[in-house]
Amino acid sequence: MADYNRKNMALLSSKTKAALLGPLNKNNPVLVQVLGICSVLAVTSKLEPSIVMAISVTLVVAFGNVIISLLRKSIPNRIRIIVQLVVVASLVTIVSEVLKAFAYDVNKQLSVFVGLIVTNCILMGRLEAFALGNGPWPSFLDGIGNGLGYGWILIVVGFFRELLGSGTLMGHQVIPQAFYDAGYQDNGLMMLAPMAILLVACIIWVHRAVNKELQEETN
Amino acid sequence: MEAISLIVRSIFVDNMIFAYFLGMCSFLAVSKDVKTAMGLGIAVTFVLVITLPINYLLENYVLKAGALAWLGDDFANVDLSVFSLLIFIAIIASFTQIVEMVIERFSPALYSSLGIFLPLIAVNCAILGGSLFMQQREFPNIGMATAYGFGSGIGWLLAIVGMAAIREKLEYSNVPKPLKGLGIAFIITALMALGFMSFAGIDM
Amino acid sequence: MAMNRESNAYTILYAVVMVVVVALGLALTHQLLKDRQVENENIDKMQQILRSLNVDVTADEALDRYGQLIQNAYLIDEQGVKVAETEGTAPQDPAFSTELGDPEAKGLPVYEAVVDGSLKYVIPMSGAGLWGAIWGYMAIEADGSTIYGAEFDHSGETPGLGAEIADTSFKQQFQGKQLFRDGEFRSVAVVKPGRTDAHRDYVDGISGGTITSQGVDKMLRESVGAYRDFLIKLNMANQ
Repeated sequence: MADYNRKNMALLSSKTKAALLGPLNKNNPVLVQVLGICSVLAVTSKLEPSIVMAISVTLVVAFGNVIISLLRKSIPNRIRIIVQLVVVASLVTIVSEVLKAFAYDVNKQLSVFVGLIVTNCILMGRLEAFALGNGPWPSFLDGIGNGLGYGWILIVVGFFRELLGSGTLMGHQVIPQAFYDAGYQDNGLMMLAPMAILLVACIIWVHRAVNKELQEETN
Repeated sequence: MEAISLIVRSIFVDNMIFAYFLGMCSFLAVSKDVKTAMGLGIAVTFVLVITLPINYLLENYVLKAGALAWLGDDFANVDLSVFSLLIFIAIIASFTQIVEMVIERFSPALYSSLGIFLPLIAVNCAILGGSLFMQQREFPNIGMATAYGFGSGIGWLLAIVGMAAIREKLEYSNVPKPLKGLGIAFIITALMALGFMSFAGIDM
Repeated sequence: MAMNRESNAYTILYAVVMVVVVALGLALTHQLLKDRQVENENIDKMQQILRSLNVDVTADEALDRYGQLIQNAYLIDEQGVKVAETEGTAPQDPAFSTELGDPEAKGLPVYEAVVDGSLKYVIPMSGAGLWGAIWGYMAIEADGSTIYGAEFDHSGETPGLGAEIADTSFKQQFQGKQLFRDGEFRSVAVVKPGRTDAHRDYVDGISGGTITSQGVDKMLRESVGAYRDFLIKLNMANQ
């Protein structure tokens, strides 16, 4: 894990563009760095909460990165982790308050998983690996990039689970009634949590079949 | 009796990893051999058992709406729940840091086997998840909260040790190249989770 | 920087300043958004009440529809008699703001709704599932026995298992069931799928969600049971 982070730092600080675009593909936080899969797959049974979650995480990573980057010269090393956690927890609390005020339904579906953004490893990973050593602007881009890199996976998983599991997208019926009349059935299995993991495995499979250099040697 | 039933449920039915995917990052990163997996599992259980009751007390006597009523009538309407996330994570982070320092000072042997995992634990979703679920589920007393912490920890330990055991055997398997490592680990997790779903009928 | 970044004094000062800033920031955000949050909670409650009347509306329409359908609301005492000066359907009125199980409550809330020209009574329910609170609303026809519709929700039941009580297919089973049989209040049983109950009307529970199903069964007996005298009066009046 530490090796990854060191490599990232060298890669990313050289180019701002890399900070933004890298995480979308070759340096994807979920597919490559194995960060942030934690809680959040549990919210992908529908597309809408997946999108809200993706946006929330992106905002928290981006602004967390900026704040830590601004504070990086003043933070006492001994309480570094606590300071980071406090910054992240405050941002997440704000996100959760805003969701409660403006997207109550989605907030209800996300329940405790909004709070769990705090322990999303992407956040701490990026704060430690990037924001502590870089200026606010590249840090902001790095946050947006990582948030989006994580978000698109969430959205893809949410898309397939809702489409195949309930035949709807964003709550609207997309699979025509004629299909059901012809004997098609929604796959109830897709609504179960394990299928989220299996879908991520499929994404990894495709991603690594295309990017051969990412393939691992051992099991 | 109720506590035992709660423990069994949180180990098998609402397993932190297989039902909610909490603590997946370290679950995948540290499940390459059984011994380290065991160490991390024990550390997680330990931290859950300690932090859950602490957070339970804070939740019920400080944070919840009306929780400060014991200070007098003036405080009966105070609602500090907006700070709960912050307090929970602060407790967890400080506790892990204290434990780390204590272990390092008094038992270097234990530190070298367990201590390295402690910084990881502060950001282990299973720990914060435990506290947040505790808040949401409104356990009737501190004993139940502790029992829940213990059960969730053991459930997590069981999951990661099982996973590590499978991955050790996996070395001899012929896995398609793009799936090697991470990919196959995800698939195993999914299959284990499906397996655990058969415990859903457990009724005590 | 003049001060040593690693000194104890600096660390403590830093921590204190940080805590104060964060606390003020969060408190401010909370205050700013509080009104909207309370409003959302009220609208959510209205939506649930409407869903028990088989009216599923978005949050935007909830307020209007609630105003149209809910004609009256009040508290009743244990004998089923309306408590004086408790009428009113607005969020700040007693019926809406009374929580079930609150020891200081002045009575049990009842909502009167008129759907397609006929009167229904909506009563709240609350109980415990496997993990936490479960609650809901039941709409009962003017005869005090026939269930017109039911709505359930939960705070944290297992997704795919106990959480299914919030699913439409579970709720729809209740429509048309009778709370009374042979002139006696029997409630409605939630049985294991495939089982039956000879003594009262029943619905299928959730397979795999046994404890949650039992929780719903208990909630139906206790919460609806608390309205027994009120329902008996309705039942007598309509025979």
